[in-house]
Amino acid sequence: MSETPFRVRVGYSKSGNLRFIGHLDTQRLFERALRRSTLPIRYTQGFSKHIRLNLASALPLGFIGRAEMLDFWLDEPLDIEEIREKLQAALPLEIRILELYKVDNSLPSLQGSLLSSDYVITLPTDESSQEFQNRWEQLLSQAEIPITRREKTLNYRTLILENELLANASERTILKLRLSSTPGANARPDDLLQVLGIDPAECVIERVGLNFSSSEG
Amino acid sequence: MPIDNINLIEKILYTVEKPGRYVGGEHNQILKGWGSVDVRWCLIFPDIYDIGQANLGLAMLYQILNARETILAERSFAPWVDMEAEMRRHQIPLFSLESKRSLREFDVLGFTLPYESIYTNVLNILDLAGIPLCTVERGQDDPLILGGGQACYNPEPMAGFFDAFAIGEGEEVSLEISKTFHDWKASGKSRNDLLFELAQIPGVYVPSLYDVSYLQDGTIAGIIPNQPGVPEKITKRIVAALPPHPSKFLVPNVEIIHDRMSIEIMRGCTRGCRFCHAGMVNRPVRQRSVDEIIPVIDEALTSTGFEEVGLLSLSSSDHTQVLDLTKNVQEKYHDRKLAFSLPSLRIESFSIQLMDELKELKPGGGFTLAPEAATERMRAVINKPLDDDDFFQTVTQIFENGWRSLKLYYMIGLPTETMEDVDAILQAGIKVQQIGRRLIGKSVKIHLGIASLIPKPHTPFQWLPVQRPEVIQEKLDHLKAGTRKAGIKMSYNIPDSTLLESWLSRGDRRLGAVIQTAWQNGAKFDAWGERDNLQIWRNAFAANDLDPDFYSYRERNLEEILPWEHIDIGVTKRFLKRDYEWSLVGRTREDCRNVCFACGILDTFGDQRPAETVCYWGCP
Repeated sequence: MSETPFRVRVGYSKSGNLRFIGHLDTQRLFERALRRSTLPIRYTQGFSKHIRLNLASALPLGFIGRAEMLDFWLDEPLDIEEIREKLQAALPLEIRILELYKVDNSLPSLQGSLLSSDYVITLPTDESSQEFQNRWEQLLSQAEIPITRREKTLNYRTLILENELLANASERTILKLRLSSTPGANARPDDLLQVLGIDPAECVIERVGLNFSSSEG
Repeated sequence: MPIDNINLIEKILYTVEKPGRYVGGEHNQILKGWGSVDVRWCLIFPDIYDIGQANLGLAMLYQILNARETILAERSFAPWVDMEAEMRRHQIPLFSLESKRSLREFDVLGFTLPYESIYTNVLNILDLAGIPLCTVERGQDDPLILGGGQACYNPEPMAGFFDAFAIGEGEEVSLEISKTFHDWKASGKSRNDLLFELAQIPGVYVPSLYDVSYLQDGTIAGIIPNQPGVPEKITKRIVAALPPHPSKFLVPNVEIIHDRMSIEIMRGCTRGCRFCHAGMVNRPVRQRSVDEIIPVIDEALTSTGFEEVGLLSLSSSDHTQVLDLTKNVQEKYHDRKLAFSLPSLRIESFSIQLMDELKELKPGGGFTLAPEAATERMRAVINKPLDDDDFFQTVTQIFENGWRSLKLYYMIGLPTETMEDVDAILQAGIKVQQIGRRLIGKSVKIHLGIASLIPKPHTPFQWLPVQRPEVIQEKLDHLKAGTRKAGIKMSYNIPDSTLLESWLSRGDRRLGAVIQTAWQNGAKFDAWGERDNLQIWRNAFAANDLDPDFYSYRERNLEEILPWEHIDIGVTKRFLKRDYEWSLVGRTREDCRNVCFACGILDTFGDQRPAETVCYWGCP
């Protein structure tokens, strides 16, 4: 085993049936794919050995991931193309590798440097754009938008970092959001939709970007 | 075509618990073109995905059927109650995981029936699929409803709901059934013709072709074919040599029970424990060689990525190459961070040697032994002989080798059992704890698992009454009080929860009406131990003028015709009867590898026995 682990960062998408696979299950799915890949994967040290794997952020059940990120480690340096091919071959079709590259071991963890997430939400077909716009603007005009999840209340007004309303080709209303994703201030778009009286199950929610602190590049 | 409301299903999936159960798409899933095959099977485990997906029989049939170009096999499971409610509300029929087609569209629905408490789920699944519940109500276009699995050795309680049962091992007969179905479909003949043709296949039981008559006292007068050309007895199927083991296991995307790959190293058991259904019905013993097992483990690890391997058999220590196997596994995989399990070890020092090999792969975990009874007399009754000295010596060695946790399985409610026999379980636990404390220290963990006997069909105990819950409770109370005082962990089944199993496992055809009534009144997922269900069942017995006690608490006459009399497992009733009589006087039989007791297996299947180089059989 080489002394210095080889850290690999993966950008990937997660869609289709795999939308319905939760965070811990996704983690296990990657662990098993890494085992199948026959790559020289790095394990954690200690009594109970696990694959060293770090997913940037939990993607809520039902969301499509367009720009998910994770890090894993190898015992030895390998050609990036070879890693990419072997890993993709071991993954289910509904997870596609978008980018894969070596990162320096000294960089902080993805989880620790995540600042915000970008979402594209396609609203239900019966949601007229004008009426929704009124409701949306009315909500934004409030000084506070308190939303409670698991007995913890956050003021979403300060967590909506950017927002934009537009229509797609089939005239459905699209809401684009950048929401805070820092520890203790992690906003969920589905909770926000519920405040607006919209059933998240009727929407298509895509996470299209993860934004990290600048030290991440 | 796939059910047209796929968008609706997706919407529902947002609202139900653990939606990953219903979407399929696992690594190694096989999805064939619907139009590219002649016969379309859906294999159904009638409990939720979490319970059924790891079933090895299901994995084997999935591989065997899909290996044929002309056959496709998909999967379906019982939806959990939240999903079922949504499906009923939106009139979505139960669908397969692979192509998301309604079960109605398939040619053959193959249900696995591993235990009796799953029966109501079968009815619920048929209903959710929009398929008539009873074989007599089904028409030309309905799928063939086929049953198989360990509970089918007494198929009678479910006889009215199934078109056919495959009795015994399914690897070969499933392909024969598929061919018969295909020929019939091409012929354009009637459904009755199909049933008759199926009954010609050895091992296939078509219950509607048999009439059962009863005597005044409620016992059976006769079980006879109702038309010429139908065999009087149905002999179970076996595979003479265990076929190539599957390795491309599906890798579940959500957490399930037994979330690992299982490799069957041996089938059957020669020990002859008298309470053991599996030990009687799965004869003869056949094993896979180390040379066959190791490449399968290799392939399966590469194709699945599982981190845990279960090496399955009814009695691992009896595999003739088991030490070789554990040594191979140890050498080959010691740096792969894998865990291996080897269940059902005999109580002897050899087992410790085996476990020590595997422990090096992944430390931690505990040791499990199943003495089943705590006195030498009681162990002679159940034919699991073991000297007390050998038992405590083995226990001592286990602790000396550094194991810190020991689980011991015992049974109560055994024939001729006295309170002294029950108390001996407690005393054994306490003595084991003392040994452990002396060698390991205070941190040693002792766990007693207590099960109560439910006499099973085709075993030497098939004539016995079940002990009443109040008697069982008294015994449990004694053990509970004693273990609590000693600081020993104890787990057990609530006596009531085994009643249903005791009614159904030795039930006859009349129980079909009871099962249907119980299901109509809301019984399902009976294996999950909902207490309310038991009252539903009692009411269902009353509604059909049947007495549940007749099935559970009645001692059968040795001469009476049993409901499963026409199902031949190869072991003769004469053998079982003598074994029962021996049991009552505490006479044991040794391992029948050493001496043949003429149980009937060789008379029935001896002509199929292959050369030892092809497949080792345990018979002398």
